[in-house]
Amino acid sequence: MPELRGSHGDSPTNVLTRWFGTPDLHTLDVYESKAGGYAALRKALLDMAPADITNEVKTSGLRGRGGAGFATGTKWSFINRDSPGPKYVVINADESEPGTSKDRYILENSPHMLVEGILIAAYAVGANQAWVYIRGEYDEPYRMLSAAIEEARAKGYVGPKPMGKDFPLDIRLYRGHGAYICGEETALLESLEGKRAQPRSRPPFPAVKGAWGRPTLLNNVETLVTVPWIINHGGAAYAKFGTDKSPGTRLMSVSGNVNKPGVYEVELGQTFRHVIVDLAGGIAGGHDLKVFWPGGSSAPVLPASMLDTKTDMESLAAARSMGGSGGVIVMDDQHCIVRAAYRLLKFYARESCGKCTPCRIGGDWAVRTYERILANEGSQVEIDTLLRVSDGLQNGRCLCGLGDSAGWVIDSTFRHFREEYEDHALRHECNVGKVATSA
Amino acid sequence: MPDINLTIDGHKLTVPAGTLIVEAAKTVGIEIPVFCYHHKLDPVGACRLCLVDFSPGPPRPQTACTTPVSEGMVVRTQSSMAVQARADILEFELANHPLDCPVCDKGGECPLQDFTFRHGYPTSRIDGPRLHFKKPIPLSDKIALDRERCVLCYRCTRYYDEIAWEQELTTDERGVQSFITSQFDQPLQSIFSGNIIDLCPVGALTSRVWRFESRPWDMTHTATICSKCSVGCSVTQWQRRGQLVRVTSHENDEIDEGWICDRGRFDYTDVNDPARLRTPTIRGTRSTWSDAITAVAVGIKGKGAKLGVSLPQDITNEEAFLFRRLLDGPLKGAKVKMHGRSAIPAPAGPTMRIKEIDDARVIVIVASDIETDVPIIDLRVKKAVSKRSAKLIVVYPDGVDLDRNPQTVHIRNQKGAAAAEVRKLASHELLTNPGGPVAILFGDGHGSEDINDLAKACGDLAEKVGGKEMPLYRATNERGALAAGVARWDKLDGVDALLSWGPPPTAGVPRSVKFIAAWDHLPRPGYEKAVVLPATTFAERQGSYTNVEGLVQFLRPPIPVRSPLKDGWEVLCELAIALGVKVDYAGIFPIQRELAIQPPDPEPEPTPVLIGPAHP
Repeated sequence: MPELRGSHGDSPTNVLTRWFGTPDLHTLDVYESKAGGYAALRKALLDMAPADITNEVKTSGLRGRGGAGFATGTKWSFINRDSPGPKYVVINADESEPGTSKDRYILENSPHMLVEGILIAAYAVGANQAWVYIRGEYDEPYRMLSAAIEEARAKGYVGPKPMGKDFPLDIRLYRGHGAYICGEETALLESLEGKRAQPRSRPPFPAVKGAWGRPTLLNNVETLVTVPWIINHGGAAYAKFGTDKSPGTRLMSVSGNVNKPGVYEVELGQTFRHVIVDLAGGIAGGHDLKVFWPGGSSAPVLPASMLDTKTDMESLAAARSMGGSGGVIVMDDQHCIVRAAYRLLKFYARESCGKCTPCRIGGDWAVRTYERILANEGSQVEIDTLLRVSDGLQNGRCLCGLGDSAGWVIDSTFRHFREEYEDHALRHECNVGKVATSA
Repeated sequence: MPDINLTIDGHKLTVPAGTLIVEAAKTVGIEIPVFCYHHKLDPVGACRLCLVDFSPGPPRPQTACTTPVSEGMVVRTQSSMAVQARADILEFELANHPLDCPVCDKGGECPLQDFTFRHGYPTSRIDGPRLHFKKPIPLSDKIALDRERCVLCYRCTRYYDEIAWEQELTTDERGVQSFITSQFDQPLQSIFSGNIIDLCPVGALTSRVWRFESRPWDMTHTATICSKCSVGCSVTQWQRRGQLVRVTSHENDEIDEGWICDRGRFDYTDVNDPARLRTPTIRGTRSTWSDAITAVAVGIKGKGAKLGVSLPQDITNEEAFLFRRLLDGPLKGAKVKMHGRSAIPAPAGPTMRIKEIDDARVIVIVASDIETDVPIIDLRVKKAVSKRSAKLIVVYPDGVDLDRNPQTVHIRNQKGAAAAEVRKLASHELLTNPGGPVAILFGDGHGSEDINDLAKACGDLAEKVGGKEMPLYRATNERGALAAGVARWDKLDGVDALLSWGPPPTAGVPRSVKFIAAWDHLPRPGYEKAVVLPATTFAERQGSYTNVEGLVQFLRPPIPVRSPLKDGWEVLCELAIALGVKVDYAGIFPIQRELAIQPPDPEPEPTPVLIGPAHP
């Protein structure tokens, strides 16, 4: 069993991770007998009407945990259960957002929790077939999830008559081939269909025309594993956690210059100070916090001075950032922000699918411009170019969020650390480590 | 669905529901620049060049090419957000684009040039080394690819996927490293490959046949009819200094919808062959027209069945009409062979129009590989199947390209047994309740089927299932020649005089022939002792063809007939006079008028229709 680096055990806010750490939790037997597993599925299939299941999720106020934060219950209600023809549930287990490892944490500890969540969701929206799109690099989680599905199939929870209910339910797996863009929902669908992974123009949205042109519910892993708890305890109980508009808890993957990196379950509304200092043990090596990405590399950065920003979506939006995937990347004052931004732009430029002009060209130009700056060949022209590229990547110019994210990296790092950029570009020097910045 | 009222840049307009904003704007003369959008392809919103503001809507600009109009929508293409977005996208597109204009064949008809002038910044703020690719790459012997110029609009790969149903063109790599390539670097083989040249908005895909030949403003062009097969697609033929320098498409939604096949697009270089015959010759010596025609008349007069007449597949209606007068008169009894024709007899009544394929619910294709026989009809069938959910049944012994769609029902008959299979089709599950019109296209299996039996079987099937038939004549003017009564295929063995109108007989000149009279545009081996009259080509000759649907279409040649050449109808008139027939036509128009008023046979009257403007 992998070393448990994160939340687990009996704590009031451990909604998802309560039973993590239980030996053999990944087996159906233990999941059922020790963790109360599949009680929610039984309740949903045999005691509830599909519309009631969706209503319960709506009441909970659960928002998508993949990055966009869309109201999950509302998304479920977009699928017309009674329309003729097949519908699909597709689970986004591509987890490629830099700084994010929460879905892996879930799959390595309790894959059955996902299976249960999928089956409930599929029944609620009228889909007989679910597909889990899991990133190709997740070897071990893929094996564990595969085994869990087969256990569920052997037990009769997956199959033509799950738990005796006359509604066939099947789950299949598809492994990705190593592209960040496959985390974008329509590019994921293209890849699932065997085509080149490039996002589609929206509308139409997947709920109308998704996998193979059929109505499709697309949810993140963490979103779906929350569903069994909601069914067991009720949506209202879930809404008691967190804030008004961002109820519940979420798994935050904390990485970087901290003493205790790991995946921590956090009640939304808590501050980032609580996450980084209390849970992750603060900055390692006696250094000071400089900057952190609150929701994966795609979320605009926050400087140390904003450590008390709260983790709920509204507070983050007010701070001109976003909740994103909950991947908290922490950087101390020993690191150059320009170099960090360059490294991230290289990621975005390389992962760009190339379909739309601004991201394809702009990302590459930003990388080349950063290289000039870092090679001490910069000037005001390079700064202007970066800002011009950043502007050209945002505000609906691009076909999907990858371009916007690249733009936010440039934008937010420049906004909060303008002097460092100018040090490099105009004065050809780097003063990191020499100037004290306090948390 | 009711029409939609909206406002674009202050102009109020009303358009059908479902119209995309970019198309609606065209109706009031507003240009929204596009690269990836093409009205014949599914919109993708990839290039982002067409960003406009509209309300009600999100606070960000949206692509006009993917958004249909809605009632009361207010669209602004000139808001500062939209204007800046367009200029920014163009600046991005030009960031890596090579400064090739002086040597790029697209210059002068290049949307990238035009849009940059009209919508882009005068200077670029992005400077630095550009991305390089090895170039040009020969995609085939006809098409060159320049990856540095490519703006990755994906029109070519999408066309191949959606329209042509081929997989040989694809995109490799990702992001800024993306490039267009052919599968496994093999040359493109599809007969539909050339259309990507017309589709490409920049000089990335160019014709190797026309490479470095001329600038668009150096050429004049006409919209005319292709002469390579019976479909009769509209094409644009471009001339410069009396040469046919290139052929491109001309959109005719009734027939070709803007696509042409590679035969029509690239098989024109013989028009410019320096070896082209210009003056009549008798036994290799130059002669006058009157001497040559007299020699022909003397050689073929009064031969009865000892005269063989070879007619080309693209004989015009007017020439066919004149030939009929000769064959009813001084050349009575001659053996006539028209080349390239199918075995299908003349139609009994009006036949199906090509555009009716669009609305068919079930399409049945019998005894023909339409990709080879009538290529553009193949594209129309593919469109009906993939975009309009038509079902497809093919009855043919071998595999066809339509098999690429897994829903195609392909009945592989034994050669000669097509009619029997067609008789069974009446009870096929797809035809018991087709839910709409049924299109039945049938060929002759290139001679392997009993065509009369097959035609009867198809006729019976059409009656049973509410279908319409399209017999797939193959020769360019097969129907015109059938109407004129000259579309025969007698065997030419044993004749001792041969009048060859057009290229020599495909089976060769029969050994018994002692006298050859030919009307041809190139010198041929074996004609040393012949009387040869120099012929016009499809790029110069006037006249009309009757296509597979029975539609009469008029040629509009880009090159005039220059002395000493004479056009075919004129030569036939002079020959008729030399043979003692009284003809007195001042020009081709009196012939056409006579054709229209008095068809030589009680056939259904062909309806002369003018397709589009002469100079587009």
